[in-house]
Amino acid sequence: MKVLVPVKRVIDYNVKVRVKADQTGVELANVKMSMNPFDEISIEEAIRLKEAGHAEEVIAVSVGVQQCQETIRTALAMGADRGIHVVHDGDIEPLVVAKILKELVDKEGPSIVIVGKQAIDDDSNQTGQMLAALLGWGQATFVSKVEIEGDSIKATREVDGGLETISVMLPAVLTTDLRLNEPRYASLPNIMKAKKKPIEQFTPVELGVDPSCRIEILKVAEPPTREAGVKVSDVGELVDKLRNTAKVI
Amino acid sequence: MAIPNVNAAELQTYKLTTAQKDAVDQIKSLVGPRGYVSKTEEMEPHLVDWRGVYKGNAELVCYPINTREVSDIVKICSAAVMPIVPQGGNTSMCGGSVPLKNSASIILNFSRMNQIRCFDKNNYTMTVEAGCVLQKLQQTASDADRYFPLSLAAEGSCMIGGNLATNAGGTNVLRYGNARELVLGLEVVLPDGQILSGLNALRKDNTGYDLKNLFLGSEGTLGIITAAVLKLFPKPRGIYAAYCAVSSISAAIELLDRARKESGDCVETFELISRLVMDLVLKHIPNCQDPLEERYDHYVLLELVSTAENDQELYNRFERILEGGMEDGLILDAALAQSEVQRQAFWSLRENATESQKLEGASIKHDIAVPVSAIPSFYEAAWQAILEVEPKARLIAFGHAGDGNLHFNVAEPANGKTQDFIDNWGRINTAVHRTVQIFGGSISAEHGIGQLKRDELTHYKPAVALDLMQKIKSAIDPNSIMNPGKVI
Ligand SMILES: Cc1cc2nc3c(=O)[nH]c(=O)nc-3n(C[C@H](O)[C@H](O)[C@H](O)COP(=O)(O)OP(=O)(O)OC[C@H]3O[C@@H](n4cnc5c(N)ncnc54)[C@H](O)[C@@H]3O)c2cc1C
Repeated sequence: MKVLVPVKRVIDYNVKVRVKADQTGVELANVKMSMNPFDEISIEEAIRLKEAGHAEEVIAVSVGVQQCQETIRTALAMGADRGIHVVHDGDIEPLVVAKILKELVDKEGPSIVIVGKQAIDDDSNQTGQMLAALLGWGQATFVSKVEIEGDSIKATREVDGGLETISVMLPAVLTTDLRLNEPRYASLPNIMKAKKKPIEQFTPVELGVDPSCRIEILKVAEPPTREAGVKVSDVGELVDKLRNTAKVI
Repeated sequence: MAIPNVNAAELQTYKLTTAQKDAVDQIKSLVGPRGYVSKTEEMEPHLVDWRGVYKGNAELVCYPINTREVSDIVKICSAAVMPIVPQGGNTSMCGGSVPLKNSASIILNFSRMNQIRCFDKNNYTMTVEAGCVLQKLQQTASDADRYFPLSLAAEGSCMIGGNLATNAGGTNVLRYGNARELVLGLEVVLPDGQILSGLNALRKDNTGYDLKNLFLGSEGTLGIITAAVLKLFPKPRGIYAAYCAVSSISAAIELLDRARKESGDCVETFELISRLVMDLVLKHIPNCQDPLEERYDHYVLLELVSTAENDQELYNRFERILEGGMEDGLILDAALAQSEVQRQAFWSLRENATESQKLEGASIKHDIAVPVSAIPSFYEAAWQAILEVEPKARLIAFGHAGDGNLHFNVAEPANGKTQDFIDNWGRINTAVHRTVQIFGGSISAEHGIGQLKRDELTHYKPAVALDLMQKIKSAIDPNSIMNPGKVI
């Protein structure tokens, strides 16, 4: 079977995000970009399925600007077999991505799509669920363990207050949580090999998807800075501050 | 390592003179109750060094708030011949930052002198006080789109005053030099309390003896550094990092040469890491991962740096250097950081070398430098010399090989008795330091002399040089109140 994995190019996890002066979005110029960490986990899981003999081919997909090819190359260097780049400049929303992925699923016929549970830039946590709905497939979200059992998947999910184990029929959409695995590094020999792996290109329109945005962003602002704490000398002063300054009692 | 037993009888072997007692009282009233601590429990963290090897005594730990106050305290101490121990983050590796046992002293700790006095973006300088924590300075520079390159594993706690007083090295010496090379001007309080103000932000200034260089690297034995003008650089944007397994130490040195030449001299990091270091880090430090699939004997953390964002040309050269290294058998395997997170993960393997070694047990440390070209032969010869003393010793070698500096440390045998190992301390030191001498090296590349190597130094430094050092010391600090018992 084939496994399809979308990989998103986002601001590097270790970079301090800054809001643009005109408050229309965050600063992307001269900022280090990397693969969304949850997508690294997805790629790793797909490669492990291949190594375990469950999958024959891993396809990495990225939707976005030209430099998304670098993100795909990283996926190929980790061990994905080929890439698909859906070229689009400008903002793109989860629903559009889900529609694009649906078209690619129809073209490629994978049995599993492994999606990061969220992208660390917009934290939408929507694409996997929307894709499952569009396809009419089962889904296992926030998975921290995956086992293939015949024509179904036993998945452990991270839910509030504990773990939940469910079984979903294939084909299915999985969304990955942090504890699923520890992604491997891209080794020099694999980076060299990855250069020879093919990357196909499409535009959303070629796939029959209208990429325009439905959400208008009015304003992006920094969270309020925390004020420094003050030391109080006794309980009386503390109560007074809580009542009159903080107004919480 | 256990804190040496200091018994009560030993602690009482010294007495303060009447003048010294008065000095303590005068200083207390000068700095006020917030400016000092004197209870044993409160002073404790200032009295024991980072490694837990040295423990001393003090009457007071003072936290001066400005240069004027430092000067006033020193005047009082000078009059009473009261020893002063300057202290920054107390991360000294050679017992330099804690007082001696059995002697009166005052510790001056700079944690409250932490202002950035001036940030001159276009002059690429900042003027800072001695108590600024190194990491804060790096951050300040970075926030203003500048770069302060001094970097070492203790950067979260060490202070710039301590860095300058020890002429700290760290991981960026190859490209930017030691702490000394990063200073344009210095403000110093002399042992008689006078203030030597030399905070000029000039790159050219040939007006007589270079006085600041006397204090840089003097480990608090000549005066107190209260502020400095530091050099800044354009901020690196494209950083390309690889964690390489190399086939031998000489392969590593060959790789360094190629990387410098073929990158357009953009090598910023070249750290050597031995397998045992990796094993200890993976064993003792949580969340660390071996970047490569197989085990190898020697690794190099290599970084090329460009001040241009997305420097594709440099990245291509980086790949070509690595590919070439692999084809020619210098590199056996390598992982390339695909994100800043992965790059930091490489660094945490290197930066936790010292910490994990501490967690593993006793170790005998050597902070040596030899010419870069001599590293492979030195490595082999020194290792043989150690094995002759202790056949089961384990070598923890790592360090800034790009500038010729190695931390050539020896860990106790896995199942041996710690005491038997410690008994060999002197013999192992001699084995390593004699080899260093043969190769024209230094027995203290970056950590300094402090208490640890004071006697050792007399065997390796030429008599003429030691004599001149003594003359300078007597001229500047005739009563020997500045950090006594250290360096000379
Ligand atoms: C984990 C770890 C890693 C390290 N890595 C490196 C490394 O890579 N390279 C390197 O060079 N060093 C390294 N060191 C040791 C290094 O010397 C210190 O980390 C640092 O430079 C000292 O700064 P500090 O503020 O802690 O000074 P302290 O330890 O407090 O003092 C060091 C010396 O400077 C004197 N001093 C302090 N402040 C002043 C002042 N204002 N005026 C005059 N004298 C003063 C003290 O009396 C003492 O002699 C490392 C230490 C640790 C713990």
